[in-house]
Amino acid sequence: MTANEMVMSERSLDELGPVDYLVVEFPAGASNFTGEMAKELLALVDSGTIRVIDLLILTKNEDGTVDAMELSDIEELGELEAVEAQLAELLAAEDVENLANSMEPGSKAGVLIWENLWAAPFASAVRRSGGHLIANGRIPIQSIIASIEADEAAAIQGA
Amino acid sequence: MPLRAARVGRVGVIGHPVAKTAVVAKAVTPGPSPVARTAVVAAAVTPGRRRRRI
Repeated sequence: MTANEMVMSERSLDELGPVDYLVVEFPAGASNFTGEMAKELLALVDSGTIRVIDLLILTKNEDGTVDAMELSDIEELGELEAVEAQLAELLAAEDVENLANSMEPGSKAGVLIWENLWAAPFASAVRRSGGHLIANGRIPIQSIIASIEADEAAAIQGA
Repeated sequence: MPLRAARVGRVGVIGHPVAKTAVVAKAVTPGPSPVARTAVVAAAVTPGRRRRRI
């Protein structure tokens, strides 16, 4: 049984919260790792807001090839050791290729997969009530700004 | 560093090449009037500010 299967079997799938991913790119020469990201990630884990399912560090070389680093490959993980011990290694090698497609050559990226524990009880309640998710997504900040500015422009024209 | 062997040969969960999203930081980078722009965003998410017109 894989680590991923073990995690899934420990909890009923019906109790699983929504699972999201993000890829955060650090352009060449722009990274400034102070430990702040790890601290905030741990705060989310410790508060029970999320559970980290997988975490990889990718490097896209200038020729487009991609190197992937497991969290366990980092020598001094510090407080992230607790997170690393709980990883379920959900991502497959083909996922790495798909995710790295978004990266610029010469950049590094962190890939984070997490379960939204905060949403799990509501999602379970929805399913028990007979509902099922048919759409979801994220509204970009740019769209919010455009919408509010259009409203204000319309108000000025109507004045 | 190679990936762990357990990741190789498995069916993935992403399913397609991921396109790069717009860099949000550029949209909220302070311009000529950072205070005004921050106020705009704050107003957009203030409860009760708008009524839907459908």
